[in-house]
Amino acid sequence: MAKEPILSAKDVEIQFSLRGKKLTAIRKCSLDLYEGETLAIVGESGSGKSVFTKSFLGMLDANGSIIGGSIMYDGIDLAKYTTEKDWMTIRGKKISMVMQDPMTSLNPLKKVGKQIQESIELNQGIKGAEAKKLALEMLEKVGIPDPERRYNQYPHEFSGGMRQRVVIAIAVACRPEILICDEPTTALDVTIQAQILNLIRELQRELKMTVVYITHDLGVVANVADRVAVMYAGQIVEYGLVEEIFYNAWHPYTWALLSSLPQLGVKGEPLPTIEGTPPNLFNTITGDAFAPRNRQALAIDFEEEPPFFDVTETHKAKTWYLDPRAPKIEQPKSIRMLRDKMKERR
Amino acid sequence: MFKYTIKRLLQSLVTVLVVATIVFLLMRMLPTDYYFSEDQLMKLTEAQKQEQLAAAGLLDPIPEQLVRFYGQILRFDFGESRRIQSGVAVIEVIGSKFTISMKNGCIALVISLIVGVLLGILQTRHKDRLLDHIGTGYTIFVNAVPSLVSYSLVLVFGSKVLGLPSIYSSRRPEVSSILPIVCLALASIASYALWTRRYMVDELNKDYIKLARIKGMSSKTIMVKHVFKNAFVPLAQYIPASFLYTIGGSLLVERFFSVPGMGPLLTDSIIRYDVNVVQTLAIIYAALGIIGVFLGDILMMLLDPRIKLTGRGGTR
Repeated sequence: MAKEPILSAKDVEIQFSLRGKKLTAIRKCSLDLYEGETLAIVGESGSGKSVFTKSFLGMLDANGSIIGGSIMYDGIDLAKYTTEKDWMTIRGKKISMVMQDPMTSLNPLKKVGKQIQESIELNQGIKGAEAKKLALEMLEKVGIPDPERRYNQYPHEFSGGMRQRVVIAIAVACRPEILICDEPTTALDVTIQAQILNLIRELQRELKMTVVYITHDLGVVANVADRVAVMYAGQIVEYGLVEEIFYNAWHPYTWALLSSLPQLGVKGEPLPTIEGTPPNLFNTITGDAFAPRNRQALAIDFEEEPPFFDVTETHKAKTWYLDPRAPKIEQPKSIRMLRDKMKERR
Repeated sequence: MFKYTIKRLLQSLVTVLVVATIVFLLMRMLPTDYYFSEDQLMKLTEAQKQEQLAAAGLLDPIPEQLVRFYGQILRFDFGESRRIQSGVAVIEVIGSKFTISMKNGCIALVISLIVGVLLGILQTRHKDRLLDHIGTGYTIFVNAVPSLVSYSLVLVFGSKVLGLPSIYSSRRPEVSSILPIVCLALASIASYALWTRRYMVDELNKDYIKLARIKGMSSKTIMVKHVFKNAFVPLAQYIPASFLYTIGGSLLVERFFSVPGMGPLLTDSIIRYDVNVVQTLAIIYAALGIIGVFLGDILMMLLDPRIKLTGRGGTR
């Protein structure tokens, strides 16, 4: 991985003020994004996946702000951006986003074609008929048949999958370099999911985009991602190539996450779940945030935050288990089973 | 869409007719004495009265009278006033007053729409800041304080400070209509501001606004192109309602400023049992309301593509 990252977030800290209290949603989180890759960020609800990536295009809610760290993109530190005018140079043109729910992501009172055209006119300085032509092309590109007719229809005349295609068309209309997909298929039914994932993959190839998936569906991850980052309590705790995470994970949270994969379940036995609840982010967290839920936690896990240890050059995990001084700990059986199972399937 | 419009129009006409029938039947429950002017009541003998009543068809069976009444309505013949202006056609009695009330009502409506909606937009832009609080304060004040009190404030301020006439004069109708119009607009401005703000804030929190931001739109453009237009759709429903309110408010305002409009006429005619005038005014007020609702529906349909009400049920 000698390549220079296209976007590099370093020690990003994001805080929200809620009813006078401070909630630290992202705690010194770092991430490098490489050109053309597909990265999946996984983690449970509230782990900060969305918040972290939203900060790349200044889409944090009004009560949240980046209070530390840097997000370097194209030689500029996005973490320093404060005004809308700054962000408008990034949004849509350089970094774009597809949101979860296509049913609410479109303006119900505006023609679908116009909504795509708006984005083109806004960012490419083309107006009128020419922009319309591009919008029609975009509709065709995202696989909407009969674009001429569809252009003049309203969102309520589209199905959920079709709407998500339109949302994607809007997001990529101006050929952004980075596309963030925030659970793009969660609200869709299973048969449509695969189509949408394929569409994103095709567009990625054609427009040479870097794609970040935010998901808690490990099935999606296995399907689309080159690399995986696992997030827990506002931090990335482990990242690596997709095979490395699936077959050779080292962080106990990743283990727990993988063990609860339904594919690993044994008929008649309840699926394993992760006990306990994530930490309250209003409080200060000491040590490894996952330690209280980890039965095999080490004493040091409760005292000091672990640094990242290299597993391979591309695979790093933030756990004391990898410290040479740590007692020898074996990956749980289920992880080894997963390895075998996946190999069987191939 | 055309079919729906026609259907709603017919429905509205039927509703007006039903109202007219109810009003007519209620009026027929009054003693026939009120058919005569105060003068006639003193001078005429019982036999003469009966004779006149029979001649006017008031002794016929009710269904027969009703059918005749429908015929009259269709010919825009609302009979004669008996007491307010004895012997003069009701249409004429109401005519000039109707014009005054409608003119003031319409001007007040336009003013309150413009001012109210602008205030609502400003409040949204400055949400939770001073301007928003001032607007909210105004809305609460207008709604909480009895209207006569706020009218008095307008009267005092308008006449003492600005030197505007405090009583309507037919010689200077424009200038002397200013204060009544302001009073009429007072409440609707508040409700337009309230609803505009409410709907705009609602829209602002929707996902499609986020997508608009993601695609690089400035918040100003979003306000104009997405938020306001969408917020205006539910608002459109309130326009007829508030028009009614403005006309309804004129009962009080017109009395307060001695404007010779329909408001004072309605109360006068009720007090003096001028049956035909009451009947006609009731129908006019009802028709205004029904037309208002009809126009509101049509407006909504034009603005919101999701509303394509065709026959069976709706899609909303």
